[in-house]
Amino acid sequence: VADFGPVTCAGCGLLCDDVTVEASSDGVRLQPDCALGVQWFSERMHRRDAAPATIDGRPTDVEAALARAAELLREARRPLVHGFEGATVEDARAALALADRLGALVVTRRAEDGWPGGPAVPLRGASSATLGEIRDRSRLVVIWREDPETTHPRLLDRLGFGRTPSRAGSERTLVVVDDRDTATARRADTRLRWQRDHDLHALTSLHVLQRGLALRSGDLVAEVTGLMDRLRAVAHAAFVYGPRLTGGAGGQRRALALHELVRALNHDRHVVTLELPAAAGTRSADDVVAWQTGYSGAVDLAGGHPEPLGATHRIGDHEGVDVALSIEAAPAHGGGGAEIGLGTLPPGHDVAVSIRTAAAGVSATGTAHRLDGVPVALQAPLPDAAPPAAALLARLLEEVTR
Amino acid sequence: VTAIRISGGRVHDPANGVDGELRDVCLNDGKIVSDVGPDARRIDARGMVVMAGGVDIHAHIAGPKVNAARKLSPDDRRDDPLDRTEVLRSGTGGLVPSTFATGYRYSLLGYTTVVEAAAPPLAARHVLSELRDTPMIDKAFLILMGNNQVLFELIRRSGGAVSGELRDAVAWWLDATGGYGVKLVNPGGVERYKQDNGNVHSLDDEVDGFGVTPRAVLEAIGGAVDELGLPHPVHVHANNLGVPGNADTTLDTMRTLAGRQAHFAHLQFHAYGGKPGGLPRSRAPELLDYLSAHPEITADVGQVMFGPAVTMTADGAVSAVLRDLGADKWINHDTEVETGCGIVPYRYRAGNYVHALQWGIGLELFLLCQNPWQVMLSTDHPNGGSFLSYPKLIRLLMDRAFREDQMRRANQRAIRRTALLDGLDREYSLNEIAIITRAAPARRLGLRDKGHLGVGADADVTIYHDRADREEMFATPRYVIKGGEVAVEEGELRRSDDGLLLSSRAAFDPDVSGVLAPLFGDRYTVAFEHYPVRDPALREPVQIVEAAAP
Repeated sequence: VADFGPVTCAGCGLLCDDVTVEASSDGVRLQPDCALGVQWFSERMHRRDAAPATIDGRPTDVEAALARAAELLREARRPLVHGFEGATVEDARAALALADRLGALVVTRRAEDGWPGGPAVPLRGASSATLGEIRDRSRLVVIWREDPETTHPRLLDRLGFGRTPSRAGSERTLVVVDDRDTATARRADTRLRWQRDHDLHALTSLHVLQRGLALRSGDLVAEVTGLMDRLRAVAHAAFVYGPRLTGGAGGQRRALALHELVRALNHDRHVVTLELPAAAGTRSADDVVAWQTGYSGAVDLAGGHPEPLGATHRIGDHEGVDVALSIEAAPAHGGGGAEIGLGTLPPGHDVAVSIRTAAAGVSATGTAHRLDGVPVALQAPLPDAAPPAAALLARLLEEVTR
Repeated sequence: VTAIRISGGRVHDPANGVDGELRDVCLNDGKIVSDVGPDARRIDARGMVVMAGGVDIHAHIAGPKVNAARKLSPDDRRDDPLDRTEVLRSGTGGLVPSTFATGYRYSLLGYTTVVEAAAPPLAARHVLSELRDTPMIDKAFLILMGNNQVLFELIRRSGGAVSGELRDAVAWWLDATGGYGVKLVNPGGVERYKQDNGNVHSLDDEVDGFGVTPRAVLEAIGGAVDELGLPHPVHVHANNLGVPGNADTTLDTMRTLAGRQAHFAHLQFHAYGGKPGGLPRSRAPELLDYLSAHPEITADVGQVMFGPAVTMTADGAVSAVLRDLGADKWINHDTEVETGCGIVPYRYRAGNYVHALQWGIGLELFLLCQNPWQVMLSTDHPNGGSFLSYPKLIRLLMDRAFREDQMRRANQRAIRRTALLDGLDREYSLNEIAIITRAAPARRLGLRDKGHLGVGADADVTIYHDRADREEMFATPRYVIKGGEVAVEEGELRRSDDGLLLSSRAAFDPDVSGVLAPLFGDRYTVAFEHYPVRDPALREPVQIVEAAAP
C-alpha cells in the first residue's frame, strides 16, 4: 500500500506533474484519473519484484549482465542504440556518451517500428507553443488524425477542453480531422471525416484558400472552406498532429504542407502547432541527440563524428546492425516496466542481456522533456535497489572502455 | 593541479593597470598567485602576449531556442564535423555548434567564460542540461523576465513601483532556476506578439490585458535588480529592435533606467535613425554621447559580420519580420506565461544597404566610444555572426588598413551614412582589446575573480603569439589555461574539463511563495512545487556570486 503525490506521471508525453497516487491490493488509483497513468504506475510498481537482470533469458545479477553486455558491445561490428520509450534526459545523455564511444547508430525511436520519415522542420521550420499558450489563447484547436483521448488521455483537459478553464473563454472550438470514430472525434465540436490519403490535398487546399484564391469544385471543397472560415474567424489557433500525419509514405510531405500552411496563416493571425510524440521519452531523446550531435532523430556515429540519416532511411533492413541496445524500452520478455536490453533486431529477435532499471518517476529522479519541450522533474516516491538507466549506461561505458 | 610560471610574456591586464609590461604570471591551485616554487612548470612566453581568459557577456549557446536552431539547420553543419578522440566527444560545428563543439571552440579561441543571454525560466532544466554538456568554459545564463505575466501582475498591483513582493519574486526566480541575471527582451512586446501578432511601439503603450506598460516593466524590474544588488545589472534588449528610428526608443529606455545600473544588449541593433518603414541611418554617436554622460550604462555591440548568421531571439515579432522578408526557414515557439522565441537563418551581404549600415554602425560604436569599459565586444552570437568571427572583428578594430579595405567592399551609400569615412583612424591597442573582451565584461558581470590577472583571480589565462595579423593571432592562441590547467596548447585541446555553472543569489522572504503560488496556479501548466530546479546533478558544480545588497 502506498500513497504519494503530487508527482509526475511519465506514462505519456504529457508528463502531468499534478498526480496523486493511491496504491493498494485493489490496484492503483490516480487523481486526476487517467487509464494510461494507472497502467504506467501499476507496471512500474509491480516490476519491482522482477529479476534484476537476465542473460539469454536466465536470471542473473547486474554485474554479470553488465560484463556480458560490454563484451557484446566491444565485439559489435555495427551497434545500434535505440528505443528511448521511457528515457529521461539523463538516460539519453548517458546513452549518447556510450554511442559516441562505440561509434554506434542512434535512433530515438524503436528501430523495429521503422524510421518514421524525415522530419519536416529542418526544411522550412515550424510554429509551436507550450500547452498553456494553446489553452489560454487558441480559440480554435484542430486535432489532425490523432486520438489523444487514447494516447495522451489528459491532453484535451490540459488544453482547456474539460475541467481546466481556459483564459480564452468558453467560446472555443475543437475540430477533429479523422475518418475513424475515435474517442477524441466524439468530443469534437466539428468532425471532418475525409480519409487519410486526402490529407495532403486538404492541407494544400487550405493553403490555396489562405492565399485568397478559389478552390475548383471537387473533393473536400465544403469541408476545407468551412475549416478556413473558422480559422479566419479567430486571432489565435492551434493544430495538433503526430505520427499519423508525419509517419509512413508521404509523411514528410504532409508535415511540410501543414507547416507551410501554418506559416502562411501567421501573416494575419497567430497560429501554432503541437506535435504528439511516438513515446513519452521521444522528445527528451530527440533534444539530447540534437544538442550533442547537431542532428535530430537518427544519427550515425560510426565515422567518428555525427552524420545524419536520410529521410527515407530504414534501420535494420540494410545497415548490418548486429547488436542493438534498447534504452528504457518495455521488457522483451514482458512483465511491465522498462529495461536496458541488448540483442538483435527483428526478424530473429534475440535478447542476449536485459537489465531492469529503476523507473524514473517511481524509483528514480530525473528530467524529461514534455511533448511541447517543457522540461519536467520526475520524482522517486518509491526508491528501488535497481539503478536508473543513466547509471547503468555510465557503468557500461566504463566497462566498454576498460 | 599543477603550479605554472608563465615567464617573460607581455602582459595586458587593464583591470590592474598593466599595459604590456614584461612580467611573469604565476598560477597555483586554480588561482593567480604572487609566486611559485622552482618545481613549477615554466611556460616560456617570450614574444607572446598574455591576457586573462576571454569573457563573452552576451551569446546564445544553450537552451530550447539554440537547440531548435540546431534542428533547423542540419545542412549548416554537414561539412564541419568534429571527430571524437580519447578525451573529447564528437560533435558538429556550423553557426550553432553542438554543445561539446561549442565548449571546445570557445576554448580554442581563448575564451573561458560565456553567458547564455536569454533563457526562459520554465526551461531552466533544459538550459542546465545543455550547459552540463558544454565543456571547457564556465557559464552562466540570464533569465527572461520582461514578458512574465506573474511579474506583470505584481507590477500592476504596485502601480509600477518596486515593491518588496516584486524584489522577492525576482530573487525567488533566480534561486529557482540557477540563473545569474535578469534579461528583459522587448518588454511587453513579446506578450503582445503571442496574443495576436501585435507589438508595443513605445514605452507607454499598454500591454493589452495586463495594465502595465514597457516603461513600468523597465522601472519596476530594473529597479528590483538594482535594489537587490545582483552582481550583473538588468540586461536589456530594448523595444523596437531593428526598426528605423529606434534610437529614440533606446534613448527613452536609457533615460527610464536613469540612476540605475543597466546593460544594453547588442546596441547596434538599437541605434537606427529614420522612420519606421523607411531606410535606416546611423544614430550611434547620439547613443555614445548618452553613455559618455552616464557611466552607469554599459552595452555590448552586437556587431554584424558579412556572411551567414542565425538570428535567434525571444523577440518573436522580430523574427516574423525577417520571415516576411523572404526567409526560407522560420521557427516560432511561444512559452507560456514567460516569453517567446523566433529563429531565422540569415545572411549579411556587404552590398546590401541595410546590412552594410549595420556593419558600419557596429564599428562606429567601437571606434567612437570614449570609454571601452562601457562598450564590449559581441556579435550577439550567432545573430550577427558566429563567435568564431571574433578574431576578424578584432582585426577590424586594430588594423585600419584592413578595415578600410573591408569598407570599400561594402555598400558605399550606407558607409557614407556613417562616420567611418570621416577620418576615423582609430586603431584599438592590445590593452583596449583586453578591456572589451575580458576585463570589462567580467567587471560588468560582477565576476571579481575573472577578466584579470591579479593575485587571487581565477587562473584563466590566454597566451597569444604576438603576430602582426591580429586575426590570426586571436584565432589561434598558443596556450589557453583554464582553472590553472593547460587546456589548449599549439592550437589543440589537451584535456576536457566540465567548467563551472555561475549562479547568483540574493536574499528573499520565503513567504513570497505564498504570493506566487496562486498566480502560478491558473497560468502555468506545471505545478508550482515542481517548478524550482533543486537537482544537484543539474546545478553543480557551481560558483555562487552573492548579491551586494543586505
